[in-house]
Amino acid sequence: MAHAHGNAPSPSESMEAFLNGLWKQNPVFVQVLGMCPTLAVTNSARNAAAMGLATIFVLVCSNTLISLVRKLVQKQVRIATYILIIATFVTMVDYIIKAVSVDVYKALGPFIALIVVNCIILGRAEAFASKNSVGKSILDGLGMGLGFAIALFCLGGVREILGAGTLFGVSLFGPNFQPWVLFLLPSGGFFTLAGWLLIFTWWKERKKRMAEAQQ
Amino acid sequence: MNQAAPQNMPSSAKLIQLMGTVSLVCGLLIVSTHQATLAPIRANQETIMRQTVAELLPGANKQITYGVDGSGNLTVLQGVDAPGPKLFAGYDASGKLIGVVLEGADRGYADVIRAMYSYSLEKQAIIGFKVTELKETPGLGDKIVTDPKFLANFKELDASLKNRIVTVKSGTKKNKWEIDAISGATISSRAVGRLIDKSAKEMIPIIQRNRQRIEGGN
Repeated sequence: MAHAHGNAPSPSESMEAFLNGLWKQNPVFVQVLGMCPTLAVTNSARNAAAMGLATIFVLVCSNTLISLVRKLVQKQVRIATYILIIATFVTMVDYIIKAVSVDVYKALGPFIALIVVNCIILGRAEAFASKNSVGKSILDGLGMGLGFAIALFCLGGVREILGAGTLFGVSLFGPNFQPWVLFLLPSGGFFTLAGWLLIFTWWKERKKRMAEAQQ
Repeated sequence: MNQAAPQNMPSSAKLIQLMGTVSLVCGLLIVSTHQATLAPIRANQETIMRQTVAELLPGANKQITYGVDGSGNLTVLQGVDAPGPKLFAGYDASGKLIGVVLEGADRGYADVIRAMYSYSLEKQAIIGFKVTELKETPGLGDKIVTDPKFLANFKELDASLKNRIVTVKSGTKKNKWEIDAISGATISSRAVGRLIDKSAKEMIPIIQRNRQRIEGGN
């Protein structure tokens, strides 16, 4: 964990804070967090992208505000304060999505409001933003948010391609394609997630074995 | 026992003050976002509603939204977000009434299915149908949105209310007031029949009673 100080972070520290969430500590594929939205809204690439963007917004904003007030917040009420801040940004994103697209709003349904209880967000508030400078907290939120969004897109893309034969609503295989509807159903979410976790774990293990072989 | 702990505890007043300040800031953020997005949200809902009405009543250049009060009287609405039942009248370029679009909802397999359909006063029939909200099983229940054979039921579905509008088993439609179900999506097809029947029974008598006013467009 990075040291808590108010000085401007060095470029390498900033990069690390950003890349950590994006890759090394990817919230879905490495930490296996936020499974409820990951499985529930990834039945199409568009829904996955919208949920990803909404989560990035909430993560970056809540990390920023929590980092700003970190020295004022007493530890006894910190969780209540963080939840209050997170819920505020979730309510804001709820209004914004409704203003941008009613279709996406209807598709995401209650899962927008449920971003409040997405453990990635409270997790980053408690583990990072409450102990680090604003700049680093923003980068951490951006990295984690992007990592989450990419993971959702990986799931949503595969599920939409196999389950409907389309990507972002554009037909890929023509009218004769018989879609594998199972992938649009909840069970398809588990299968796709399992597939991606398998790839990630295999890749990590392979890297580890190669590093050991080099030694 | 730890004697030092109570001394490190901040006073309740301080904690309340802190939470109060954070709540105030959060409240201000929420209210300003609500204010800023109110107009676009209304505009979005209105655009979608207008597009749906135009789709269900081809050739409608002018639309009027009426609200229906408890005693069945109509009032002209400016927006579409007013609560309560509504009807959307569509007129052609010469100001002649093409038809009226109505809303309906009923329980499907997964959740409530919401739909809009157009009613022609001249033909006393339903002449168009569109699902507006659906959470049915992909590949099965969601066929009610796309299946051309099912949608053909609504080209001229008798809504004279002499007979109940019902969904019948796939391939057994004999009368003009029956809806031919989709095989494999029976529950969703039946929900469509019920939602139209329920809404038509409630709204069509009101339309007939206010026919002159709706035709006059005032």
